Amino acid sequence: MKEKIKKHHLIALCLLCLTGTLCWLTGVQFLSMRKTDTFYPSPGLSAQTKLSDYFPQLADSPGDTAVYCFRGEEEGGNLLILGGTHPNEPAGFITAVLLLENITVSRGKIFIIPQANLSGFTHDDPFEGNPQKFSLETPGGRRWFRFGSRLTNPTHQWPDPTLFTNAAGQALSGAEVRNLNRSYPGKEKGHLTEQIAFGIMELIKKEEIDLSLDLHEAAPEYPVVNAIVFHENSAELAAIASMELQMEDIDIRMEASPPSLRGLSHREWGDHTPSMAILLETANASHGRLKGKPSEALIVEGKDPNYVKASKLGMLFVPYSKDGIPIKERVARHLAAVNALVSGLRELNPDQAIDIGNFPPAQTVNEQGIGLYLHPPK
Amino acid sequence: MRKNIILVLALCFLLSPVAFAYKNAGENSPPFELPNLITSAGQSADVQMASVLAKRAGLNATLKKTATAEDLENIKTLTLVFGASLKGLGAAGIDVDQEKERVRELVSEAKKRDIPLLCLHLGGEARRGQLTDQLITEFLPFAQMAIIVKSGNHDGFFSKICEENNISLVEVEKTVDVLTPLKDAFK
Repeated sequence: MKEKIKKHHLIALCLLCLTGTLCWLTGVQFLSMRKTDTFYPSPGLSAQTKLSDYFPQLADSPGDTAVYCFRGEEEGGNLLILGGTHPNEPAGFITAVLLLENITVSRGKIFIIPQANLSGFTHDDPFEGNPQKFSLETPGGRRWFRFGSRLTNPTHQWPDPTLFTNAAGQALSGAEVRNLNRSYPGKEKGHLTEQIAFGIMELIKKEEIDLSLDLHEAAPEYPVVNAIVFHENSAELAAIASMELQMEDIDIRMEASPPSLRGLSHREWGDHTPSMAILLETANASHGRLKGKPSEALIVEGKDPNYVKASKLGMLFVPYSKDGIPIKERVARHLAAVNALVSGLRELNPDQAIDIGNFPPAQTVNEQGIGLYLHPPK
Repeated sequence: MRKNIILVLALCFLLSPVAFAYKNAGENSPPFELPNLITSAGQSADVQMASVLAKRAGLNATLKKTATAEDLENIKTLTLVFGASLKGLGAAGIDVDQEKERVRELVSEAKKRDIPLLCLHLGGEARRGQLTDQLITEFLPFAQMAIIVKSGNHDGFFSKICEENNISLVEVEKTVDVLTPLKDAFK
């Protein structure tokens, strides 16, 4: 009898140790998402600030994110480029990183926020089974980047309401309260996500941004993909850019921002500031509902046999072959669109011209990969 | 007298090429005049590209996506840009039937006022579809000329309507290539 009790204690101790080890391992893995990504700004960087410089309430909060500013010597237009509004749409984030690590500006000003919703980079969606990170090969080694969630981390903003009523009074599902691209124009005293949105609006106003770009990705089965979504104040610019892209054999559809679709960047930036507002979408299979096993390869190479089948069945809004849509192609598309929009801005308003040096060429990125233009890891 | 007749005949003979030249010039002269009103048939964003093309071509054009008969005052050409978009219709706050009715009234009023109709289809194959085809079928027959992106005519849809209605059809490879024929179409 005595022996039996001893055995129970031993088993209990073993189980406790095993549980502790599992907790420690998963905890380490969970907390690894909080380790920040390292960027290597180009020598052309004029200043690195924080979003809290525009909205001090964000200081020391998980929503305070880096703002990279490139100021030209000559007066010109002011451009804002936002990546990482949705951290599970990596082409937007990587495009912003590629730009901040390469460009110089001789005329005008460019502000780059590569991780607009920084909190969203600190966790991933538990039921999606996505990898926490993905890597890109550079000539000097492999660089790793976080693959986060579409939404703000619930440990930073909790609980979600049953219904989220946005600033326009429209009711959305509760989780959308943590979606940055449903939270514009933001609220000074709102939830964290609304405060981030408010901070971005403050930046646009204080820096007198002429053109604001929000870089995204969407599932290939989503109708608004490979698209320029434009506020009516930037319709002409979008038309000029889409024609220029067509000349480069890049098919892009123009989609007007519906006035009733509230809370989104392409609507509220244009409605609440004088800035021209545009959102860009590329097609990412890892983002879709038809995907097979989520993996790092799916994020980077963009190959998925389910999407090949869906394409054959005519269910997609973009061409999709067995070669997939790799991240280099998606980033190249964003780069080409940014370039076309900047050139269109010059055509429309010569006073708002922006001269950019060392702009990573879209065609080279598409043919030779992103790594060529990424700083090697230290 | 005989001398005079010979002189007159000689003059007629000499001047006839000039007269023919004038006649041909009349036939080949661009059919459209400015100012030009550009509007959409289907509310796709392609109408915006038409406006940019007109601007680049140096044409005095007014863009009004939901133009009505009242907007035809002092207008000498009506340009209709085909392309249906449910999002675009939603953004304009109208439904398909309202859009069809608007274009119907506009084209009818243009006809009453002898304002020629120029039709554009800029979206290629991607901007075809049941609703766009309905609009093309109903309104293209009233046009004097159509300029389209070639891939939109992959099934000969535009060719058939233009042949049946004696409409001049110009096909180009890309949207940006519309610029030259558009410029040439105006006096």
